[in-house]
Amino acid sequence: MRVILRTKPRKKPFIPIEAETIIPQNFLRKNDIRVYEGNKERRLEEIFYITAEGPAVSPDQVEIVLSGETGNIKRVGEYMNAGRIVVEGDIGMHCGNFMSAGEIIIKGNADAWLGREMRGGTIRCEGNAGHYCAAGYRGEKRGMRGGLVDVMGSAGDFTAEYLSGGEVRIHGDCGDLPGVEMRGGTLTIGGHCHRPCGNMTGGTCMVFGRVYDLLPTFRGAGNEEREYRGQRCQMMLYKGDTANRGKGSLLVKKNLNRTGTD
Amino acid sequence: MSEFLIRNAYVIDPLSGIKGEIMDIAIRNGRIVEEVGSNAEVIDADHCLTLPGGIDSHSHVCGTKVNFGRYMSPEDMRAGRTARKGVMHVTSGYSVPTTFGNSYRYSVMGYTTVLEGAMAPLEARHTHEEFTATPHQDMLANTLFDGNWSIMEAVREKDMKRAAAVVAWTLSAVKGFAIKLTNPGGTEAWGWGEDVHSIQDQVPHFGVTPAEIIQTMIRANELLNLPHSVHLHCNALGVPGNYRTTLDTIDLVPDLNDKRQSLYLTHLQFHSYGGSTWKDISSKSEDIARAVNNKPAVAIDMGQIMFGRTTTMTADGPMEFKLYMLHHNKWSNHDVELETGSGIIPVYYSRKSLVNCVMWAIGLELALLVKDPWRCMLSTDNPNGAPFVKYPEIIALLMSRHFRENEIALLDPRTAHYVPLPAIDRELDWYDIAVMTRAGQAKALGITGIGKGSLAPGAEADIAIYPLKPESLDPSAEYQQVMAGFGKTRYTIKRGRVVARDGDVVVEGANSTIWTRATVPPGYDLSVDPEFMKKFEQYYTVRMSNYPVQDVYLPRGICIPTEASL
Repeated sequence: MRVILRTKPRKKPFIPIEAETIIPQNFLRKNDIRVYEGNKERRLEEIFYITAEGPAVSPDQVEIVLSGETGNIKRVGEYMNAGRIVVEGDIGMHCGNFMSAGEIIIKGNADAWLGREMRGGTIRCEGNAGHYCAAGYRGEKRGMRGGLVDVMGSAGDFTAEYLSGGEVRIHGDCGDLPGVEMRGGTLTIGGHCHRPCGNMTGGTCMVFGRVYDLLPTFRGAGNEEREYRGQRCQMMLYKGDTANRGKGSLLVKKNLNRTGTD
Repeated sequence: MSEFLIRNAYVIDPLSGIKGEIMDIAIRNGRIVEEVGSNAEVIDADHCLTLPGGIDSHSHVCGTKVNFGRYMSPEDMRAGRTARKGVMHVTSGYSVPTTFGNSYRYSVMGYTTVLEGAMAPLEARHTHEEFTATPHQDMLANTLFDGNWSIMEAVREKDMKRAAAVVAWTLSAVKGFAIKLTNPGGTEAWGWGEDVHSIQDQVPHFGVTPAEIIQTMIRANELLNLPHSVHLHCNALGVPGNYRTTLDTIDLVPDLNDKRQSLYLTHLQFHSYGGSTWKDISSKSEDIARAVNNKPAVAIDMGQIMFGRTTTMTADGPMEFKLYMLHHNKWSNHDVELETGSGIIPVYYSRKSLVNCVMWAIGLELALLVKDPWRCMLSTDNPNGAPFVKYPEIIALLMSRHFRENEIALLDPRTAHYVPLPAIDRELDWYDIAVMTRAGQAKALGITGIGKGSLAPGAEADIAIYPLKPESLDPSAEYQQVMAGFGKTRYTIKRGRVVARDGDVVVEGANSTIWTRATVPPGYDLSVDPEFMKKFEQYYTVRMSNYPVQDVYLPRGICIPTEASL
C-alpha cells in the first residue's frame, strides 16, 4: 500500500505539527489518525490531502510518502517498526525516534534529533541533518542502540552523542563534539569535525576529513588502514578517552591533518 | 456535618483486635463514631477487605534530596506521565515523580500517611513546601541528627541531657517529627573524605563513636518522651559482611518504652549481607532475624529491592560514593553544614546480577523470618529499593510461596546457593499484611494517640477498601488478584472524605503535617543558650533567628506536644 500525504495550505504554517502517529503500522487498519497542530488536535485529513493506493496485509508493505511543506512536522516515524516512509522535502525534529525497524528516506534536510535513541532500521537523509543527529536524550546514558543512519550532507553539533550500538555515517562535515560520550557502535565522518569523541568509553569513530582541536586525552596507538567510498586510506589510531578508561578508538585519516591533530 | 456509613465491610483492624469480621463503620466529621443517623451516605463494601489507611513509615518523597533526584534524572520524568484529568494535576516521573504523582499513586494504593525518611534540618522549608503539595497524605518528617556538631559535642561530654535539649530545640524549630540517624558519624567523617566502618570507629575531630551516638540518642529520645523511637539507618550500608555491624547495633539497644520499641532499624535488607566482597556476598537474614526476634525493643522495616530502574538517595554520602564507583553513572553529592550530607545516583536492579538477586531475597527473608509482624514493616525505602508502587507485588510475594518460586526461577541460578529463601514455607495472611502496612507503623511511630492506624470509634476516618474478598480468595494461588487488588482501592477515604475511587483521585485534598514539640525546663532551652547561639554566629551561614521554619509553611500542622523529663 502506498499512502501519499500532501500538506494542505495552513493559515499559520509556522506552528509545528506533532505527528508521532504517522507510522506505517497505523495506516494498516486505523482510519482515524490524529495529529496535534500546536495544542489543537486535528484529524489527518485537516492537515493533508490523503491518497491511498494498493492493498497491504502487513505493515512492511506500507509506504508513506510525505510531500509539500513538511519541514515543520515533528516526530514522524516515532516507534516505527516496519515499512517505509519517504519524505520528498525537509522534515522536522525528532524524525525516527525510537525506531526499531523499517526505512525512512528523506530527500531534503532533516532537523535536529534525527533518529534519536534508534533501536534498528535505516534512516537515509540526502540533505543535511541538524544537531543531535542519532543522539541520546537528556539524562539517558544510552543513545542510539542499533540500525543505520546515513546522512549524505553535513550534520550539526553533538552528532551520535551517547551512541551505544549501530552505525552512523555522516558523509559531509560534523559540527562540534561528534561522538561525545560514545560507548559502542561505529561513527563515520566523511568530512571535517571539531573535538570528536569526548569522554568516549567504547566504539569506533573514523574521520576521513580534518579534525580540529583533538582532545588531549587521546593517546596515539599506531596506524591502520581503512576503506572509505572505495578508497583505501591510511589512518592514525588513537585510544581514548583516557579520562574515562580509554577503551574507544578514534581513527583519523593521515596527510590531511597537518593542523590540529599533532 | 458529613456522615458516612460503610456497610458490609470485611474489616481487619489489628490495633482493635479485629481479625476479619463483617461489620459496618460509621463516620462523622472525619472521625469514626459508634453510629450515624439514617441520612448518612452509604457505601456498600460488599464484603471487600477494609483496612485502616496505609501508613508508610519510611519513604523519600519530599525535600531537597528528592528534588535533586528529579532534576538530575530528566530521563525518569519521561516515564510515568499522566495527563490532567478532573481534579488531578499532570504527573510525571517513575522513581522520583512529581509531588502530585507521589500523592496520587499512594492514594490509589490506600495510603493516607507517609513519613519522609530524612529531612536535613537546614533545608526543612523545602520539605514542608513539598509536603503541602503532597495533598492526600498526612506527612511526618524524620529529622537528621547523624552528623550534628552540637549533638556530637554533647555525646563527647557524655551529657545526655544536653543532647536531648538540642533535639528538642531543633525538632520544634524545623517542625520535625522524630530523630533520624543516617550512618551516625559517617556523614561527618565523609566531610573529610572518610567513613566509619563499624560502630566502634572514631569520628574524625570529634572523638566519638557511632555506638556512643546511638546509645545517647536512644536515651535522649526517651528523656523527651517523643512519640517515635530513634529511627536508625545503620553504619556500613551495602557493604558485604555488614551484618556484624547490624548485630552489634541491635546489641546496644535498651528496652526503655513499654508502648513501642526503643529503636527503629530502617531498610534492614541493605544491612544483612554476609561475605567479604561483592563476589561472595550472601544472605545473613537468618542471623539478623534471630537477633530481632530475641530483642523486642527493636522494630525494623524491610527495605525490599525490586528489579528494574530506580534512584537511590540517602543522607549517607560515603555509601553513595561507593555505589558511584561501581556504576560510573551520574552522581550527586551534597554537604549540609554542621548537620549531615547526602548522595544520589540512579541504579538499575537486574535479575542478571547475582548481587541484586541476593538483595531481593534478603528483604523477603527478613519479612518471613521475623516472627512478629508488628516489628517488621513493609517498605522499599522508596525509591532506594524500588518505587513504592511495587508494594502490591511485595505483598503478593509474601502471601504466596508459589509466586516466590516462580520468581526465583527467573533469577541467576547461583542465587539459591547464597540465600535461604527457597526453603522458607511461610505465607503471610491478611492479618499479617494489615499489621505490616498500617498497624505496626502506627504503633512504632507512636501516632495511635492521634487516631492513626485503627478503625475504633474516635480514630481518624482514614480507610482503604480494596477490591479483594478474603472470604473466598486464596492469596497463595490467586496472587495476581492480590497484586491487582492492593494496587487499586475501591475507595480510599481520608479524614472522612472519599479521596480516590477505583484508581481515580476525586478531590484536591488537604493534608496535615504532624510534628512534635517537647517542652523542656528553662535551663535546657537552647534558644537562649550562649554556647549554642555562638555556634550559629561562628559556623552557620544562616542566623539563628532565621533558622526556624515559620508556621506559614505548615498550613495544617498538627503538633504533638510532649513534656520532657529532664
